[in-house]
Amino acid sequence: MQLNEFFRRLGYLLKRKNQASDLDEEMRLHVELRAAQLSSSGVPTTEALDAARRRFGNRTQIAEQSGETWAFNWLDHLAEDLLFAARTLRKSPAFTVVAVATIALGIGLNTAVFSVVNAVMLRDLPVADAGRLVALWEEVRQEPDVFRGKDDAASVTGPRRSTVSPANLVDYQNKTNSFEGLAGVDISQSNLTGMGTPERLSGLSVTSNFFPLLRASPAQGRVFTADEDHPGHDDVVLITDELWNRRYGRANILGTTMMLDARPYRIIGILPPGFLPTSELGIEVRIDFYVPAAYPPDLLSDQGRGDHEVNVIGRLKPGSSLASARAELKVLSQQLASRFPVTNKNVTAAIAPLRDDVVRKVRTSMIVLLAAVGLIVLVACLNVANLTLVRSIARNREIAMRIALGASRGRVIRTLLTESLVVAALGCLTGLALGAALIRLLVVLAPASIPRIESTAMDARVFLTTVVVAFLSGIFFGILPAIHITRIDPADSLRSADKNLSGRHQIRWRSALTIAEVGLCTVLLIGAGLLLRSFVAVLNVDLGFQSERILAASIPLPETRYATADQRLRFFEQLEERLRAQAGVLSVAFCNRMPMRGGWGTGIEKQSAVNVMLDADAQAVSVGYFDTLGIRLLRGRLLTSTDRTGQTLVVVINQELARLFYKDTDPIGQFIRRGSHAPWLEIVGVVSDIKRDGKTAKVTPQIYIPAAQTAVYPVRLADLAVRTALDPKQYAAEIQRQVWALDPDQPVTNVKTFDEIISIAVAERRFQTMLLCLFATVAFSLALIGVYGVLSQTVAQRTAELGIRMALGASQRSILALVLRQAAWLMLAGASSGLLLALGLSQYMKSLLFGIEPHDWGSYIVAVAVLAAVGMVVSLVPARRATSVDPLVALRYE
Amino acid sequence: MTPLNDPRDQIPPGTLDMLILKTLARSGEMHGFEIANTIQLTSEDVLQVEEGSLYPALQRMLVKGWLVGEWGKTAENRRARYYRLTARGRTQLNQEIERYHRVTRAIERIVQPA
Repeated sequence: MQLNEFFRRLGYLLKRKNQASDLDEEMRLHVELRAAQLSSSGVPTTEALDAARRRFGNRTQIAEQSGETWAFNWLDHLAEDLLFAARTLRKSPAFTVVAVATIALGIGLNTAVFSVVNAVMLRDLPVADAGRLVALWEEVRQEPDVFRGKDDAASVTGPRRSTVSPANLVDYQNKTNSFEGLAGVDISQSNLTGMGTPERLSGLSVTSNFFPLLRASPAQGRVFTADEDHPGHDDVVLITDELWNRRYGRANILGTTMMLDARPYRIIGILPPGFLPTSELGIEVRIDFYVPAAYPPDLLSDQGRGDHEVNVIGRLKPGSSLASARAELKVLSQQLASRFPVTNKNVTAAIAPLRDDVVRKVRTSMIVLLAAVGLIVLVACLNVANLTLVRSIARNREIAMRIALGASRGRVIRTLLTESLVVAALGCLTGLALGAALIRLLVVLAPASIPRIESTAMDARVFLTTVVVAFLSGIFFGILPAIHITRIDPADSLRSADKNLSGRHQIRWRSALTIAEVGLCTVLLIGAGLLLRSFVAVLNVDLGFQSERILAASIPLPETRYATADQRLRFFEQLEERLRAQAGVLSVAFCNRMPMRGGWGTGIEKQSAVNVMLDADAQAVSVGYFDTLGIRLLRGRLLTSTDRTGQTLVVVINQELARLFYKDTDPIGQFIRRGSHAPWLEIVGVVSDIKRDGKTAKVTPQIYIPAAQTAVYPVRLADLAVRTALDPKQYAAEIQRQVWALDPDQPVTNVKTFDEIISIAVAERRFQTMLLCLFATVAFSLALIGVYGVLSQTVAQRTAELGIRMALGASQRSILALVLRQAAWLMLAGASSGLLLALGLSQYMKSLLFGIEPHDWGSYIVAVAVLAAVGMVVSLVPARRATSVDPLVALRYE
Repeated sequence: MTPLNDPRDQIPPGTLDMLILKTLARSGEMHGFEIANTIQLTSEDVLQVEEGSLYPALQRMLVKGWLVGEWGKTAENRRARYYRLTARGRTQLNQEIERYHRVTRAIERIVQPA
């Protein structure tokens, strides 16, 4: 149809009434003129009009034909089909409600999960031309570990992803052509003082090209100049709109100073409201300010190339691709490796699109969840197809009549499909509403560690996808029953009074659909089972230290006011004393980093084999640390209050370090040191291992040095923990009060109980496990409805046969067995096909599992057992109905 | 209704459009009755338009944009819709005539004695 023609038709459609009367007038004129002609040629006037009318033909029919040439035929037919569909659906409200609800459930879950996936993985970063932004990191090939055997899992690792050394960054920036620029970005935390309550703020220290790369400009003031990106000139700061509002009440503060860690910074700019939420960069904390990175010269020198410490984002030049940039970086990395073998031998720069990199950790989890809801939509469709088939029994004769009266098979299929599409459309609408509600629920339940999730909303992409999914679902669950029902020979169907003529055939179809449902739901049950077992395994991991009733807090003493290790130690010792005096406080400990709150990795060597480093975590701990955390002494002694500056430098090591360094020999009395220039430390004790980095982390080698001997080590005391008799949470305010009593300018941050930290750490796993369990339950319920439906229909159709069997003396038990055998067959066929599918698919969720393999037989067996057990219980209902068939009634029915 | 013994022939199927177009091409503007009459007269009463079927055909050609219709007055001062050929209608007419000739020549070759 041409465009002009389309508009002519449209114009006609709008003036339909006029057109009809015009045509009528034309035809009347014609007849009258003909009559006049006839009468002038001698026909009597009375007959002339009749003759003219006869010659003209049936005016109504002609008017109709003329109208049809104008109308959009398909549109009219569609309207007819829609009306018809609406009428038939209204006549069977039970079917309609169940079908719409089932589809809505599938679509709703699908919409909600897809919204999350869209927000997290698909949506562009809110930056102009975001597609060209990349993340850059360094991959460090691991040298085989001399201390670990080949069997040791920790010694076989691929290249380690590492932050970038600033000295290398300068080369990546200057000696490549692919990038418009590369910017260093790092979190930098500072105490805001000098204006009321001191506060710990999080900021980003960024190179001066950061804002230009993001195409960002401040709402007020300016961004950093290249000069300000050097030590000594870097006392300038940009603040966020949020901080400006919260701490300054939107006053005019441009050019004034702000005290960060007791150092004055000039405020040169205020960022616009909503400037790049840092979750978009995968940063979990709220960012309040930006300062220049200003890398010190020693970090930028060739000696600094080993210090991998900055995150890097960049922007590709127009015209250069990821592949060409990668190739360029590879060549450059090789050049650097040959020029600086000591630091760069194993280092290669790597890049990925920034968005993909930000969400890389949640990618698998998102895809698994999306696949799971996809399966639910399929199960929902199968279920509705099943229902539609049942309904077709009742409509058998109606359809046969339509075909007998000359409706083409295509037209009947179209009518039936329209019905399915109406159900799908209603399901889609309800599903969208359900989805909108679920989105809110998901975002509330989702852990904050999933980047970008808080921006989840129903946008055009989600809406369109939902509509397409709903449409395809409608076709999917409608086409099969439609084809099935139009295969019927109308003559047979009309001749026979038996409504169940196609019953047998139909049960075969329904069984196939139900088996598919059971199969898909088996896949989901197994997936949920695998995640659930992993989750339980994680929860059951013994951390090796006591986590109950311990509250930890960070008290980051700024170097500007606590310059020496001694000053810091005195502060913490005083604080410990004050806190221990509080009622209900059982013990107090301080160190540089409490478990699960970061650490300080460092290379350790032993006196008996110098120059061979082992990576270990170093903690400077107070005397009460081991007692507070419940770490057990295995050999030697713990640290005591006499281990102070001026005394022998001592160290306590963990079991893992003892094993790797000393195998079977006694480590007590041996000497180790950090790096090759620090003083030797005498090992005085060995303590039990802990999982410092949380439940899913490995045990790392560990040294504990006395907090009172940190003068020779650059360790900064910062974390404090109290173990309490009662709920530790209530001591948060007390810690703050005691800190302010010692120093009113000192903020306290990151106040969390150990149990809270553990709970946050497993939150992501809990979230995905919970969702997959929920999805499996939904799919399972739908599949059970399917099984129940097929069995009920079978029983209903076999009433007569069952009656005869019973009349001939079949026991109730054998009738029960008859029905249950069919149920068992459905479950078995479904479960085994699902099992095979799950065996293949579970590989893809390997990275989500913990402590079990993707082919964990326990999960498979439990899933199938649950399926079989619940399935059989549900089957008992129709089975019992079969046994209660009264032979007399049944036979009379025949 | 045409009497069975009517000597006039029905027009061959598929040619009605061409006849209408040609008639209008020759005489400019006409209303429905005039078109029917003209076809009958021009063919010296051999061809008779099935009068009713003229109107759906006219409507179809309006849709296609081959004709435009405008309301005017007849000699007897009656309101009537006058149809006129458009440029596209003229192109269509040429195509139809060409096809008609092709078909009739082919048919003639078959029915003529060898």
